[in-house]
Parts: sequence; C-alpha cells; structure tokens
Amino acid sequence: MTLFLHIALLELKRYLTDRGELAFGLALPIVLFGLTYAVFGGGASFHATANIVDLDGGPGARELVRRLDALDTITVRERTLESADAALDRSAILAAFIIPDGFSEAIEAGESVSLTFKRRGYGGDEGQIVAGIVRSVAQEVGREGRVRRLTMATLEGSGVPLALIDEQTAPLIAESWDNPAVGVSVRYLDGEESDFLHRVVPGILVMFLMFSITLGAQTLVEERRLGTLERLMTTRLSAAQLFLGKFTAHVLRGSVQSLVLLVPAFALLRVGGLAGFVQVALICVLAAASVSGLALVITSLARTRDQATWSAVFITMFMTIFGGTFFDVGDGLLEVLSRFTLNRYAIESMVGILDRGQSLGDQGVELGILAGVGVCALVLAGALFRTSEGGR
Amino acid sequence: MADSQFLVADGLRKSFGPFQAVDSVSFSIAQKEIFGLLGPNGAGKTTVIRIMSTVLKPDDGHVSIGGFSVTGDSDSVRKLIGVCPQELALYPELSAMDNLVFFGRMAGLGGRQARDAASENLERVGLQDRARDKVERFSGGMKRRVNIAIALMSRPQLLFLDEPTVGIDPQSRNHIFETVENLRSEGLTVLYTTHYMEEADRLCDRLAIMDHGRIISLGTPRDLKAGIGDPDRVTLEDVFLDHTGRSLRD
Repeated sequence: MTLFLHIALLELKRYLTDRGELAFGLALPIVLFGLTYAVFGGGASFHATANIVDLDGGPGARELVRRLDALDTITVRERTLESADAALDRSAILAAFIIPDGFSEAIEAGESVSLTFKRRGYGGDEGQIVAGIVRSVAQEVGREGRVRRLTMATLEGSGVPLALIDEQTAPLIAESWDNPAVGVSVRYLDGEESDFLHRVVPGILVMFLMFSITLGAQTLVEERRLGTLERLMTTRLSAAQLFLGKFTAHVLRGSVQSLVLLVPAFALLRVGGLAGFVQVALICVLAAASVSGLALVITSLARTRDQATWSAVFITMFMTIFGGTFFDVGDGLLEVLSRFTLNRYAIESMVGILDRGQSLGDQGVELGILAGVGVCALVLAGALFRTSEGGR
Repeated sequence: MADSQFLVADGLRKSFGPFQAVDSVSFSIAQKEIFGLLGPNGAGKTTVIRIMSTVLKPDDGHVSIGGFSVTGDSDSVRKLIGVCPQELALYPELSAMDNLVFFGRMAGLGGRQARDAASENLERVGLQDRARDKVERFSGGMKRRVNIAIALMSRPQLLFLDEPTVGIDPQSRNHIFETVENLRSEGLTVLYTTHYMEEADRLCDRLAIMDHGRIISLGTPRDLKAGIGDPDRVTLEDVFLDHTGRSLRD
C-alpha cells in the first residue's frame, strides 16, 4: 500500500536531478518577484518633474521652489525662460511654471500674484497633476505671506519686534508642513487600507503554482516516452497508487516552491506575521493540490509532449489572465470568467488573510473549492488513465 | 494443454482498428523452458508479450500463467513475471542501482531486500562496478544489460525477453546469452523474441514462427529445420525465410 510513496520519492528525486526544472521552479519565481517589486512596488505610485522658471529669485520664490522639491511626488528642474520655451517648442516638455519678477515682493506685501502655467496643448495628464500640486503649494506660501503681513499690521505699534514674530512663527509653519493637520489615507470599500505587496505576493505565488501545471502535465507523457510507464504497469503498482504518488510529489514540489517565495516575502518584506505565514502556507498547499490534480488530468489525456505542453499553457494563461492575478476582477464578464479559475479562489483567500486580517475560517468556500478541485481532478485523472490503451 | 505447462495461450486475438495484430495464437511453455518467438517486423510478437504481461487486454482468447488467468487475476500473474521490453525502459538520470532498487520496491521487495537483489542482479549482468553511475552515461549494451537486470528484480518465475540484444556490441550480446543460459540453469522459464536466428538456435528449446499475427510453425529448432531439409545442413534462417518469404517488411 506504500508503493505510492516510492513513486512520489522517485518523482522528487528526478526533479532534483534536473537543474533546468529546479531553476524554473525555484530560482525563477524569486527573480520575477524581485523584478515585480522593483518595478511596481514600494513608494508612491505617481512621480513627475516640475519645470520651473524663476524670474524673481527672491526669498518667496526660493521658498516655493524648496517646498516643491521637498515633495516625494515632484522633482524640480529649474530652467531659464529661453530653455523652457525651446523645450516646449520641440515638445521635450509639455508644461513649465514661471514665477514672475516681483513674486517675492508681492508675497511679502500680502498681495495677489499669479504664476504662469505655460503648456503645450493641455499639458498632458502629468502636467495637469503637477499644475495642481504647484498651485496648492504656491497658495500655501501666499497664505502664509498674508497671515504674516496681517499679524504685523495688527501688532504694529505694540512694541513687539517684527523679528520676534518671524522667529516664533517659522518653526510652527515648518512643523505644519511636516505634520499636516489634515491628511488623506486610501481606504478600500471593504474598509481596510490595502498594501501593494498584499496582492502581488499572492499573485506571484499562485502564478508560479499555475506554471507548474506544465511540468506536471508532462509526467505520464515522459514515462511513456521512456517506456517506464508500461514497465510499471507490469508490476504490482496499481493505477490509483501511480496517480496518488505523482499527486503527492507534485503537491510537495508546489509547496516547497511556495515556501521559497513565502519565506523572503514574510522575513524581508514583512507582508505579515507568523500566523499569516502559516495560514498562507496552508492555502498554498491546497492550491498546489488543485493545480496538481489538473496537471494529472492533462497528462492522462495527452499522448505527446506538445499536446501536454499546449494544454497546460492554455489553462495557465486563462487562469492567470482571467483569475485577477494582479488586479481586482470587479464586476461584469471578467468576474464571471474568474469563477472558472483557481487563481481567484487562492488569491482571494490569501488577500483576505494578508490584507483584511481574516483567518482560514473566513475562507471556507475558497478553500473548499481548491480542495474539491484537487480531489475530483485526481479521481478523474485516474479514471481517464484506466480507460486509455495500456492503462489499467 | 497439459497441466504441467507454466504458460498456456489459447486462441488469442487482438486488433488495433482494422489491423489484426494477433490472430488465433495458441501455444504453451513448460516450466524451465526457453521458448523462442520469431517473426519479421509487425508479425505480432510484441503484442503477444504485452497481452501476456497484463499490459493489453486481448479481444478474444485466454492466457494463463502459473495457473492464473492474465485477464481475470492479473495481480497474481504480475507476481510471477518479469518483463524486459524491446525498448529500453529506464530512468536515465538515475543510477543503475537506483533504477533497480526502485523497480524492486515496485515488485514488493523491502528496502534491504531490494538493495541486495539489485547488487546481485547488477553482478549477474556484469555492472556491479558501475552501480552508482547514472544510466545516461552508459553505452547501448550496458543499458540493455540494466534493462534485463530490472526484469529480474521481481525474482520472476517467467521472464519475457523482447529482443534483448537489438543494436548492441558482440561482447554485450554474448554476455546476455550467458546470462540467459544461467537463468535457465536456475530454473527460470523464458519467453524470448529475437530477429537473430543464431540466438534462437543457441538458446531456445522450442520455437514458434509468427507472421501476420499468426503462428505458422512451431517445434524444436531441429524439428523446424527437418521440416525443410537436412537438419544438420539447413539453418534456422533458411527455415525462417522459407516460412515468411523473402519480400521486404516495414
């Protein structure tokens, strides 16, 4: 009755001796994860350059430039008027902001003053966003100038030195910039602040589990090619033991592959605590089981490597694209299609734990579907094999 | 058929679509006998072995091995047989020892038993010094010898050897002859298929010549030779060509 364990051990031994498969299954996911995080992850999602022409050069103008440059979302590039015009003419930039001569003097006097937003066309989406940010910062500088002017006018003749007023108010103004009285945080409809990593980690985990369908789909085709399948069928091994052994090996391989990604994700990127790690690891095992079951169905039906490979690639691509691997499926046709993918259920349950603080108990439906697909696919694969020529 | 016969095939038929691969094949093999199955390409030899080794079900007819029906009690039959297929059936990325131990475990041997049997069978085929080497590094002849050693891992009473000497060097071929002769002296029953007539003449107690799925001649090598001339002058190849014709086969 333990013959299936020997099949599983053989499968794992053969996997470990194949450097190509090892690289595909273990090293590549880490590389892709690193690239994905580097390209899409961490920090603000918007960043742009503000082209500034400072025709004033006074303290008010310099303060405006300094404050813009201090923003995470803006990098200031100062230009001369001629340089900005030339760049606009040749469409090297779409917008520039001109601080007019007399800007600082007007701020000091508490008077109104306008910046010029010089643009090509409508200035582009980025230019419009930068214009909004520059306008907001400039108005803040202007408001401070007016308050200062009003304060001085009120205290004029009271004997309070003007230098003392500046000395007292400057730290308060600086602190209000560092710790704004009103902040804005992004909250999703289900009430929790979402983290980029909380979706990308499950996405990559499940995507690579999906890719392993291709490896699993080759298993019987390869045994047929080697002639070992027919030889195995003359031993005491039953078809059920053969499939259970292959299934066990593939689930173990998928689980180890997931751990290789999970450990750095939790240890280095801190996507969750120990409880989250254990729960996500368990979901990975169930996802690996469902994926392994599908791979065995393909390998039972396929007669050539090409048939196995292309069937696996089609299923993998369908599930990766329509399963909301890296985005929310929302409503409509995509939501309907996603119900036929394993990605949806695996990722939803992981995101629930990592992003919404839920537990495995809250993921009953998703986990049930993953386990059910795994068991049903395993049984189906065995039945298909028994009805095939040379199977029993 | 007599009860003393270890293998009895009666009226075997098997077709693949419109192609009749095996047609009314009947013969028996006595215990400790080496029985040769000769025939041109596509004659149906391998299909007969696949049926007898429980891989294929016959469309009609019956085979019993050691008193057990191949179709009705295939589990019992598998405990009695060892199969060396025509094509190599090995895991090339594993060592010879690992291949043998694995198939030993599939034959129901315990870990220690499998390792002991693997060592014994590697020695039998002259590969004990290469036990830990990966099979993919072996020559064609060495792989053939590993292929035979695996078939012996189940300690079978009946061994199917399907063209075990195809495409190998004379030394390996001679070593395989000696191995089969040793197995006969140990009391093993063997069903042996080959294209090489001198092999059949040297090894087999009795022969059946198959063509187009049917057995067209059956007897001892000397009887078959006597059927077409002086048995001391006629070769088995003369008999083969006399029965199957001289036209080329695919």
